[in-house]
Amino acid sequence: MTRREAAVAPRESATGAIYDLGYRGYDGQRLGRRAAFATLFWASLRAAFGLGRSGRSKVVPWGLSAIMIVPAAVAGAIQALAPGGLSPFNYDNYLWDLQPILALFVAAQAPELVSSDQRNRVLSLYFSHALARSDYALAKVGAMAAALFILALAPLLVIFSASILASTDVPAAVGDQLGNLPQIVGSPLVYAIPLAALGMAIASFTPRRAYATGAIIAVFLVSAAVGGILAEAGRGRLSLVAPLINPFVLLDGTRDWLLGASIPDSPVSRADLAEPVFGALTAVLTVIGIAAVLWRYRRIAA
Amino acid sequence: MPLISTQSLTKRYGSSVTALDALTLDVEPGIIGLVGANGAGKSTLLKILLGLLKPTSGSATVMEMDVATRGPEIRQYVGYLPEHDCLPPDVSATDFVSHMGRMAGLPPAAARERTAEVLRHVGLYEERYRPIGGYSTGMKQRVKLAQAIVHDPKLLLLDEPTNGLDPAGRDEMLDLVHRTGSEFGIATVVASHLLGEIERVCTFLLAIDAGKLLQSAPIASFVQHTGTLGVEVEDGADALAGRLVAAGLTARADGRSVLVDCPDERPYDIVRDVIDEMGLSLTRLEQRRHRLEDLFRAEGRTDDAA
Repeated sequence: MTRREAAVAPRESATGAIYDLGYRGYDGQRLGRRAAFATLFWASLRAAFGLGRSGRSKVVPWGLSAIMIVPAAVAGAIQALAPGGLSPFNYDNYLWDLQPILALFVAAQAPELVSSDQRNRVLSLYFSHALARSDYALAKVGAMAAALFILALAPLLVIFSASILASTDVPAAVGDQLGNLPQIVGSPLVYAIPLAALGMAIASFTPRRAYATGAIIAVFLVSAAVGGILAEAGRGRLSLVAPLINPFVLLDGTRDWLLGASIPDSPVSRADLAEPVFGALTAVLTVIGIAAVLWRYRRIAA
Repeated sequence: MPLISTQSLTKRYGSSVTALDALTLDVEPGIIGLVGANGAGKSTLLKILLGLLKPTSGSATVMEMDVATRGPEIRQYVGYLPEHDCLPPDVSATDFVSHMGRMAGLPPAAARERTAEVLRHVGLYEERYRPIGGYSTGMKQRVKLAQAIVHDPKLLLLDEPTNGLDPAGRDEMLDLVHRTGSEFGIATVVASHLLGEIERVCTFLLAIDAGKLLQSAPIASFVQHTGTLGVEVEDGADALAGRLVAAGLTARADGRSVLVDCPDERPYDIVRDVIDEMGLSLTRLEQRRHRLEDLFRAEGRTDDAA
């Protein structure tokens, strides 16, 4: 028997006993930086929904997920019970209508992903492994975007299933609905990536969770209010740029531009702007957000 | 192969604080004690070796890999226990250590298996499934050690591993560090401001003060006989020292004692005879041992002189 497989040797002491059941070396495979990135991404995605955490950390993400899905489910049920009735929701307007839920999810869960590692100084441990600082930043933003994508995609899939189940000719309905695939996958992507970049950019700058949540909500509220006021003020140039101030209007404009269906009650439809402007500004916002997160993690002391 | 090697390594924070001042050292594998007062630059040195901090100037290698260019490679084989808290409160020790094992490159199954092993090794049992937030300081230190060794590192950097522990907890942690280093052959650097701890677990000592290397030698060379005879007398130490020097010995007064160099046995008789001639009352006659503390005392004196 080698020393590495040392026998059981209990040692009693005042505060407990250490039983030496043997420490063994490890000669197996060592995965590199990529595996570490994937591990952090999946762990963060799970954390965004409170999986593997206490019941308390599940309340907010699961509650918001439920609220996100309920309208689609109710509309779907009504459609099934009274076929031919017109649902208020479609793939184009659903995320626009439920934007407060997306905003709340970002405000609540973006800090969950980054604040705790800063506050509890877990970053020192992450950065003392193969992972680069930029890997950490990108894995976290990616996980937040994936979480938002799932949150936004789920109700659209509910609408998708309900439309098929409510129809009399199922195979034909499947064919019809599959034609909507770009909207079903595209709209959640258009919302998820910029919102994640924006939310994480704000959240990564403070270890205090409450501050981060407050700041994110403030940004959404203030931008919506300012955009609204400028639109109302309705004088020349200012009202022209008003739709570009609220991030959700930008996102809807981008969705409109890429997937081509305008929503009557969105300011985009009334805006006197070329649609690519929304797309370009959304891209700029996203890049700035991700750059801010990368910059933050390059500078932060670990 | 040197385990750690630095070449005039310097780290300044801002323009006024110099944490490391042209530090040059070479360390062979073993259990190395890195000792110095708070603020001496211990943590800074460890962080530079890990690549967490960039040095202002100079270079360092770990296992013959340059920290500036091969950081990620080095970090795969290094385990780090930070001085400060670094554990999330809402995750269990099992989940956390396993997650860190995977961050260090273990495949999922190996991470789970080794997590169970190292948690047992550090002495965490049923409680390992509970959130870390409810742990005592001693248990948290064990989790910190467990996450540092979960991937079987070749080098372990422990920054004040007994921080915040009660005496019994200290003993257990030191024992654990000693066994991890000596029985399992993991090269270990233990940074501590407590000399007693270093003396107990380490085989080699690096003493730094104000970012400069004070001493670098095997522990044994500090605690062996120094070849100095301490002669303590009621009074008249200065006069005694003078007479001994006149008799051809190397001697100097140190408070109520006279320190006499004894390369051989000749001085003993001379000391006895001189004391007898002078009619002094001898209170103590002892062979001096080096104490680790002397290192810092001696340095302090030269500073005062300068």
